[in-house]
Amino acid sequence: MKENIEKRVVSLFLLMLAILVYVAWTSVQNIKENIKDNDWVNHTHDVIIHAEDILSYLHAGDAALRTYLITGDERDKQGYRVAYSTMKERLDEAEALTRSDEDEQSSHLSLLILQNLIGARIDVARATVKAREDGGLEGVRQQFGAHPDIESINSIERSVNHLVEVARGLLRDRDKRQHTQALTARMTVDTGLAVDFVLLALVLWLIRDDVAARRKAAQAMQEANAQLESKVKARTVEVVVANESLRNENLEQRWSHEALGHQLRYNQLIINSIAELVIVISRALNVSRINPAVVQQTGWEQKELISQSIERVLQFPPDPTGTASQNPLTLAMRDGRQIQDRPAQFLARSGKIMAVRYSLFPMHDQDKIVGGVLTVRVTEGAQSQSQS
Amino acid sequence: MKKHILTIDDEADIRELLREVLTIKGHRVSTAANAEQARKIVVEDPPQLIILDLQIEEGDGFVLIEEIKRLSSNIPILLLTGAVFDRDLVRDAIEKKVTRYLDKTASLSTIVAEIERMLVDAGAP
Repeated sequence: MKENIEKRVVSLFLLMLAILVYVAWTSVQNIKENIKDNDWVNHTHDVIIHAEDILSYLHAGDAALRTYLITGDERDKQGYRVAYSTMKERLDEAEALTRSDEDEQSSHLSLLILQNLIGARIDVARATVKAREDGGLEGVRQQFGAHPDIESINSIERSVNHLVEVARGLLRDRDKRQHTQALTARMTVDTGLAVDFVLLALVLWLIRDDVAARRKAAQAMQEANAQLESKVKARTVEVVVANESLRNENLEQRWSHEALGHQLRYNQLIINSIAELVIVISRALNVSRINPAVVQQTGWEQKELISQSIERVLQFPPDPTGTASQNPLTLAMRDGRQIQDRPAQFLARSGKIMAVRYSLFPMHDQDKIVGGVLTVRVTEGAQSQSQS
Repeated sequence: MKKHILTIDDEADIRELLREVLTIKGHRVSTAANAEQARKIVVEDPPQLIILDLQIEEGDGFVLIEEIKRLSSNIPILLLTGAVFDRDLVRDAIEKKVTRYLDKTASLSTIVAEIERMLVDAGAP
């Protein structure tokens, strides 16, 4: 869209430029034609002036000749000669002026005819002058009688007038042509300028349309940016909140881990600090945990006792009443009953029997007996017994 | 102005975690692992609140509480320790010695909320 409008504007400007160049070229050509026509007009007027001069000098020379023929005065004779001589010069100049111009070939031809007529007229004049000099007035009369020469001056006048008419006709034609040319040039300039103005208006309309479209696009982009910025802000807030929540959760988990670890270590410390043997047993009387005092006082390693039955190392005296056939720990665990400070014997790893007193504390978890804690206190030194 | 809080605990991880959380909340936190470090901070840069564990390096938490009270009787003390006894039963006895008592198994958010509340109660800026 944007590129199309730019192309259109550039194309229109190029078209306007081409029209302006054409108008300028037409104007220059018109000016050149005008200058050429003016030169030609001046030249034609010059031919006309020369033709009229020929006729004037012919009449002046003829008058001076007649006066000389009457008076015989040399000054009159000189006057006729000067006038004729000037007439001849004008004739030669006019012939030269029309010689090379194609439009004036007709005039040139007339001038050549005129040259012959004037040449004949000069010959007659010379003969007449000679007759005056030789025979006086009588000689002149005889000359006129022999060569009346009535038509030569009229022929020359007609020829000159024809020449002038032809030249004036050419002037009129040239004037018409100039007028037509001027009209054409003016119309070309006016049309060119009018078209340029129309094109300029079109360009302005396109530019205005383009500017409006660009403004609209810029506004749309600004709105889109604002929306995007708003979304980014909202998203950033969400991310910040999520991060904070995640961080708090992470801190909470780390705290929970540390607190439980602390609690575990502390409980372990308490149990490990007890000098009595502490043995945790399952409901089926298997050992699940012991404290360091067991290892120190009995010689059994933890791995040797764990998962083994407590009955392997703890032996109970027979029931004096003989009524209880079962291990007292089994009965206490079944009933969830504590046993406190009862005598028993503990088999050390070395095979020696140690007199001990024990207590049992069943462990309850949600009303269920899940095991028990057995505490054993050594009361007497160990006595030897061979291991079975 | 940031509030100055002193945490006294023998476990470095606990001390640093409390420092991290309370710093995020905008407080200034000092830490001590033993009684001597704690006494020095209380004298040189008295805190607006003390968080104390009964277990400290080379010392006794209960003895340290008495010493702190002698040095500056108006500093609120939060006893934050492992649950070694029935909390409900011993609460009154313990809270006669300290301002508040929480065991370490409480959630971190509960502990932080309690700290903020104690600071407000103490009129700290």
